[in-house]
Amino acid sequence: MLCERCKIREANIQYTEVINGVKNEHHFCAQCAKEMDFGPYAAIFDSEFPLGKLLSGLLGIGEEQEEQKKAHQVICPACRTSYEEFIKNSRFGCPECYGVFDLLIGENIRQLQGSDTHKGKHPRYHYQEDGEQFSVETLSGQEDAGPDKELDIEEQIRILNARLQEAIVREEYETAAQCRDKIRELKEGIGKC
Amino acid sequence: MLRWFECVDPKRPGIISSRVRLVRNWNQYAFPSRLPQKESMEMLRRLELGLENLGSLDGKHYEYRYLGDLSDLERKALQERRVFNSTIASKKTPVGLILSEQEDVGIVLNGTDHIRLQMIAPGLHLGELWKQCDQMDDYINARFPYAFDKKYGYLTSFPTNVGTGMRASVVVHLPMLSLGKKFNGLVSEMGRFGAAVRGVYGEGSENYGALYEISNQKTLGLTEKEILDLVNRVALQLLAQEKQVRKMTMEKRRLEYEDEVYKSYGVLKYARKMSAKDAMIFLSQIMSGIVDGILETEEDCAVYRVMLGIQPANLQKISERPLEKEELDEARAAYIRRTLPELK
Repeated sequence: MLCERCKIREANIQYTEVINGVKNEHHFCAQCAKEMDFGPYAAIFDSEFPLGKLLSGLLGIGEEQEEQKKAHQVICPACRTSYEEFIKNSRFGCPECYGVFDLLIGENIRQLQGSDTHKGKHPRYHYQEDGEQFSVETLSGQEDAGPDKELDIEEQIRILNARLQEAIVREEYETAAQCRDKIRELKEGIGKC
Repeated sequence: MLRWFECVDPKRPGIISSRVRLVRNWNQYAFPSRLPQKESMEMLRRLELGLENLGSLDGKHYEYRYLGDLSDLERKALQERRVFNSTIASKKTPVGLILSEQEDVGIVLNGTDHIRLQMIAPGLHLGELWKQCDQMDDYINARFPYAFDKKYGYLTSFPTNVGTGMRASVVVHLPMLSLGKKFNGLVSEMGRFGAAVRGVYGEGSENYGALYEISNQKTLGLTEKEILDLVNRVALQLLAQEKQVRKMTMEKRRLEYEDEVYKSYGVLKYARKMSAKDAMIFLSQIMSGIVDGILETEEDCAVYRVMLGIQPANLQKISERPLEKEELDEARAAYIRRTLPELK
């Protein structure tokens, strides 16, 4: 079927309009649809992220007006992304957003992904179940974490070397000194073996 | 050294390539869309510094580039070869790229997420690719703490990637199955299993070349292994069906099939002008003709390589200047004549 507006291109969008109980069906091509005004659905047609925008349609529509009004005032303190912006772009601004919007997005993520609980891989380094981060000081402490998490000593030295360089670039001399001492310690350890 | 798509994997015909992509973010920075220019540059420098010995992990040679230093044409060519997608190719913010010589391993830094690791191989090798990705992921993680949440898993800019951050995909060639009436139904049925099937060079009957990419729709609530198994299963299932249709054609309409394949070869080998659409249709014909033993070429022919080669940005790169449509068709025909091997 040809698009009823331009009558040139193939129609691939079916638009059903119900006004006062009277149903009307229209067929348009994507280009015409983009040029027309479909109100809240317009976002679907004019984006480099068609799927992502489709998602904002799903996320934003069908919620209670009042609840939405309240939700729109939620702003992530870390990156200043508001809930409204998140809905508009279907995009988080920073890792903190997940925690900030958790209650608002839980149901939607479940709908989108069919689940809201991660079952896959966990980070091997810099992560503990209680969420604590490893620092330079605790890096070698991982040796006690069992053979599974043990880092090869040479690998540790390589990592520390990279951090040392980085600390120098950033003029964080205290961290640099810590790395240097740690490297020396590890190298002596190898010597003793 | 040959790039990955220049190698032929004759063991499993019909499967072009496998790809595993992981998305990760460094927990010290906001996601790229919210990261100011200065911090983006700082993060890129730190990532580059931390990953400068990446080659020590797998013995590959890596090149480090800023997308901003590349011409539009080079970016477009990299996009055609699927090193990154169009969103990243058109980014104006600072984006880094670490790419192996064979272009089989690519890390995009500060694209839509901080770290986008991708590995590609010819043939069906999702398991091996995941193993290598997993290792490189650990290597990166040892240097940079990730944004990770116990409930949601790896945190990403888009909620469509959260969890494993993994997209596993396989590109398959389905020239006869996709002609059938039942194909659309088959595709939506695969959707119910959680696998997306989409045309690589366009949608529906416009997908000239009949290459289809199968990938996982969901990234959360499944383990990496479950995702790989799903994509693997669907790819093999579709290929088995394609094989069946092809067998039937070979038995019942062999002469017509042979005729089409040889005509396609003839046109490709001698034409002086070739549109992208025609080229893809004819190349698709000889791709299945070679697999079914109708055409025998002097040397192994990676038809997919030719399909990548005839894309506009690559042709313009070869001619070292922008080309009008007419010139493009001429350059395309010349490229095909040059690269297509002789028949035995």
